[in-house]
Amino acid sequence: MGLSVTADGGRKTPWRDGSFGYVVPALLLIAFFFIVPVIMLLMRSVLEPTPGLQNYRELLGSTTYLRVLLNTFTVAGLVTIVSVLIGFPIAWLLAIMPERWSRLVLAIIVLSMWTNLLARTYAWMVLLQRTGVVNKVLLSLGIIDKPLALVNNLVGVSIGMTYIMLPFIILPLIGVLKSIDPAILRAAALCGANKRQCFTRVLLPLSLPGIASGALMVFVMSLGYYVTPALLGGTSNMMLAELVAQFVQSLVNWGMGGAAALVLLLVTLVLYTIQLKFVNPNRAR
Amino acid sequence: MKKHIIITLLAATVTFADQANAADMVFTSWGGTTQDAQKQHWADTFSAAAGVNVAQDGPTDYGKLKAMVDSKNVAWDVVDVEGDYAVQAGNAGLLEKLDFSLIDKSKLDPRFVTDYSVGSFYYSFVIGCNKDAVDACPKSWADLFDTAKFPGKRTFYKWSAPGVIEAALLADGVPADKLYPLDLDRAFKKLDTIKSEIVWWDSGAQSQQLLASAEAPFGSFWNGRLTALAQTGIPVEMSWTNNITAADALVVPKGTKNKETAMKFIANATSGKAQADFATLTGYAPISIDSPSLMDAGLRKTLPDMQAETQVNADMTYWATHRDEIGKRWYAWQAK
Repeated sequence: MGLSVTADGGRKTPWRDGSFGYVVPALLLIAFFFIVPVIMLLMRSVLEPTPGLQNYRELLGSTTYLRVLLNTFTVAGLVTIVSVLIGFPIAWLLAIMPERWSRLVLAIIVLSMWTNLLARTYAWMVLLQRTGVVNKVLLSLGIIDKPLALVNNLVGVSIGMTYIMLPFIILPLIGVLKSIDPAILRAAALCGANKRQCFTRVLLPLSLPGIASGALMVFVMSLGYYVTPALLGGTSNMMLAELVAQFVQSLVNWGMGGAAALVLLLVTLVLYTIQLKFVNPNRAR
Repeated sequence: MKKHIIITLLAATVTFADQANAADMVFTSWGGTTQDAQKQHWADTFSAAAGVNVAQDGPTDYGKLKAMVDSKNVAWDVVDVEGDYAVQAGNAGLLEKLDFSLIDKSKLDPRFVTDYSVGSFYYSFVIGCNKDAVDACPKSWADLFDTAKFPGKRTFYKWSAPGVIEAALLADGVPADKLYPLDLDRAFKKLDTIKSEIVWWDSGAQSQQLLASAEAPFGSFWNGRLTALAQTGIPVEMSWTNNITAADALVVPKGTKNKETAMKFIANATSGKAQADFATLTGYAPISIDSPSLMDAGLRKTLPDMQAETQVNADMTYWATHRDEIGKRWYAWQAK
């Protein structure tokens, strides 16, 4: 439907032949349900309770907000790094596995995404708590003599969120890794590259676009996460979404809530632009 | 084929719309064992008597309530809220005035009646302890704040609300009759001493989970949640020393389309019988003065209103006026 070939062999782009019209409903949907609410949020943050920038002044002047912002980026960064470190080998394995096996593993990964988020998070709570399975096993094996604090802190949030984010890094990586011609690796080996060089000089650079886009997705999703940090984290490593929830639900101060959310949005957009500049998928190829 | 799908979808939409219409009003509360009891003794009895279909929703969310009123699209008809919020929201114009020609005010505990709200049930923050998990249970707020005598994690209510600040001040030696106005500096200084040992609960169900699993073997709880937990066989010890009372309230968001039904629902929910049955099931105290005579005398003794000796009443008016100010400090302190 999209691309049609004309008689002279030149291709008409969807833009030229007008078939982009099919996208209009989707664009309208985004405009109504995303752009309009964001604008309304912005309005509230400068109009409530009185017109002016006092919400932003209060927010940026408060050490609480800056600390929460820092926490948010620390957690998101940590989760992204761990997700890449775990996700890359899994994606590589899936890419080189025989099809029927990789399908099975992939199904397990995707299945975990379909399970209710709250149920999964509570499950981690039960596993990780002081009296939970993990601590009990470690205690009975004599590896530790006092239960570890694995929940209600940074450790708990990082474990819970990494688990949830893994599919989002594995799935885009598989595609990129599969598209790498194994012959290139063989060629590198034939030219005398050892295994490490094959990885750092050939495989890693080629898969960098996939890593970058997956990592960015994980990072951005982590920035706004609510349920998992609220249940597995402590208040001293509160993330921004929790702060917004307090403003909106408990203090019913929507001006501040809107301002807090928008600062996060801006920071995220800036990071996204920087990332696009440095890791251009088209150029990296 | 395509047509077939569209028709199926349309039929599904119509069915959904029907289901939404089948409910004559919506009651919103905090979920868990408490809302189960409210459904059984308030909503189901109302449905049976008045032929009104009551849908349940939850949990209560003050942000959502404000959004509904602001956008004039009110989906909740009766909402169970915290007492201090009811006073504040009434003043902020978010609530309908209650119709006391339908609700009999003379039968209700006057402490919990305002123009915009009546008491829903009344509860105490008490000290709960899992006897199996520790050698000794804390008996007073001072004990609960003493990490040397009672080492280990303790759990407190996460949100800014009456309860924890009062407990900290009582633990620090402030006499119960001198709590208000709250000395926030002193309270937060006291809370600092146990902060690293606090695990916060943000819902009643979570508080029960923390205590039952002994993740936090003691802490401050809604008394009804401990009663419910004890009924499941968990060895719970409850200390009523300086129990801090607060009440939930029933309110009607401004602009509801079912105002009269909502008022009738509240009239039924606050009637002597409904309050007595709810109290029997949950361990919370009734706010109708007719209820006590309808209840089992033995059980009656275990309710918050009979623990009056060392009881501390949280000052809802004080909280309603200082809610924002305390809230800001509370969350800033938590995030530190």
